[in-house]
Amino acid sequence: MLLPRFEYHQPRDLSEALEVLGDLGPGARVLAGGTDLLVDLKTGDASAEHLVAVDRLAELKDLDSAGGSVEIGPGVTASLLASRPRALAGLSALAQAAATLGSPQIRNRATLGGNLCSARAAGDLIPPLLVYGATLVVQSSRGARQVSLDDFLLGGGKTVMEPGEMLSGIMLDALPPMSGNAFMKLGVRRAMEIARVSAATSLTLAGDGETIARAKVALGAVGPRALLSPKAEEVLLGQKAGEELFATAGEAAVADASPRTCHEFKCEVVAVLTRRCLMQSWAEARGAAS
Amino acid sequence: MKKRHISLSVNGVAHELLVDPNRTLTQMLREDLGLTGTKHGCGIGDCGCCTVIMDGETVNSCLVLAAQAAGSEILTIEGLAQGNQLHPIQQSFVDKGAIQCGFCTPGMILSAKALLEQNPAPSEEEIRLGLSGNLCRCTGYQKIVEAVSDAAGKMKGGAS
Ligand SMILES: Cc1cc2nc3c(=O)[nH]c(=O)nc-3n(C[C@H](O)[C@H](O)[C@H](O)COP(=O)(O)OP(=O)(O)OC[C@H]3O[C@@H](n4cnc5c(N)ncnc54)[C@H](O)[C@@H]3O)c2cc1C
Ligand code: FES
Ligand code: FES
Repeated sequence: MLLPRFEYHQPRDLSEALEVLGDLGPGARVLAGGTDLLVDLKTGDASAEHLVAVDRLAELKDLDSAGGSVEIGPGVTASLLASRPRALAGLSALAQAAATLGSPQIRNRATLGGNLCSARAAGDLIPPLLVYGATLVVQSSRGARQVSLDDFLLGGGKTVMEPGEMLSGIMLDALPPMSGNAFMKLGVRRAMEIARVSAATSLTLAGDGETIARAKVALGAVGPRALLSPKAEEVLLGQKAGEELFATAGEAAVADASPRTCHEFKCEVVAVLTRRCLMQSWAEARGAAS
Repeated sequence: MKKRHISLSVNGVAHELLVDPNRTLTQMLREDLGLTGTKHGCGIGDCGCCTVIMDGETVNSCLVLAAQAAGSEILTIEGLAQGNQLHPIQQSFVDKGAIQCGFCTPGMILSAKALLEQNPAPSEEEIRLGLSGNLCRCTGYQKIVEAVSDAAGKMKGGAS
């Protein structure tokens, strides 16, 4: 399969990248690892007159955690996330999702930013960042704005980014003490699997070590975009953690999945994955408590 | 399309080339440098037969632009043997009958090399996961897994 024709730009730093994107306008696309974009250009699912390569920009690969907040550069690869770098300690769901994304070769190129900006319903790195309540920094040559990931995703692969803008940072609050989080996906093979259904959850236990003080449940590939389940959260909050409660939360999550894509089999999977993810999150939270 | 002037190292040899922006690393290696050991299969990241090692990491060269490889060090299957002395992984593939048509073999061997560098004594399951980006239509994988495990045993002595 051959690539169509395009012009190629390789800016030296972020500000030059923003300038180039601003000058080129709507015909330009950002090229990170290329594992989505180059495939789509080959198959004709995407088109571009100009590609602006950002895969070498060191500014987009920063990892930082200080004072309870974590910053992740969009250029960080799935391989790096899967290696559980110290700055991302505790972000188990993200590490688990990254470790099962595609194949080793894909993970070495695929970036977090590419996954978020492709904004596919089955993008594996999205549900973990939804449960972390991530905020994205969207930047153009005229300035930067902050958007929550939940608002960033418009569904059907669309995002709020305008021509000339790019994703330059991902920010989240470190999880409080006595928290645990997990990601799981259902696929046919263990590898190279675009998720049929995925789930990410996080739980924080109160001081008594039993009551759920904070809970988040996110689902992937059950609608036009990954989503948070407020109904599951409602079931969990203030209750004592336990498998039965998690099963009820799983049922509640089904109600938040889009009914058009959540046919009978998928619904069951949503319930089971949510329950198992919550069990794993709980185990991790208790481990953190002891 | 404005051609790009790139320099890179392939199997330890420095090259300078003028490439079209839409040329993939696979095309550049096969057509410009004549290194046809790197195979072109699906072109979309699924089969792994275009696998090369770029700056120490395996990549699908069909999904890397030649222009993006500027400044990197590339290792292809042609760079593994020392003269007539096969690399231990290559030798194990021969010894264990892990090669049938051979189309997947260069990619398999490079993925195996990257795996053994990270994990010198992988379990069978770890070998299968390490090779999960490489498809083989002939062997049924069992002999490939055995070959990698055999190579791991041989390489413990420090051979690379
Ligand atoms: C064989 C194969 C298997 C795969 N398996 C999985 C899987 O299991 N799970 C999964 O979730 N995905 C999978 N993918 C999809 C893909 O690998 C991921 O979505 C990856 O994270 C994309 O990142 P990238 O850096 O390659 O993005 P690119 O392809 O470079 O870019 C993707 C999109 O994001 C835009 N973009 C990238 N970075 C920025 C930025 N900083 N600012 C603005 N826009 C930006 C690009 O313009 C483009 O539209 C697979 C792909 C292949 C080919
Ligand atoms: S040809 Fe590159 S993965 Fe198939
Ligand atoms: S030996 Fe033929 S594809 Fe593997």
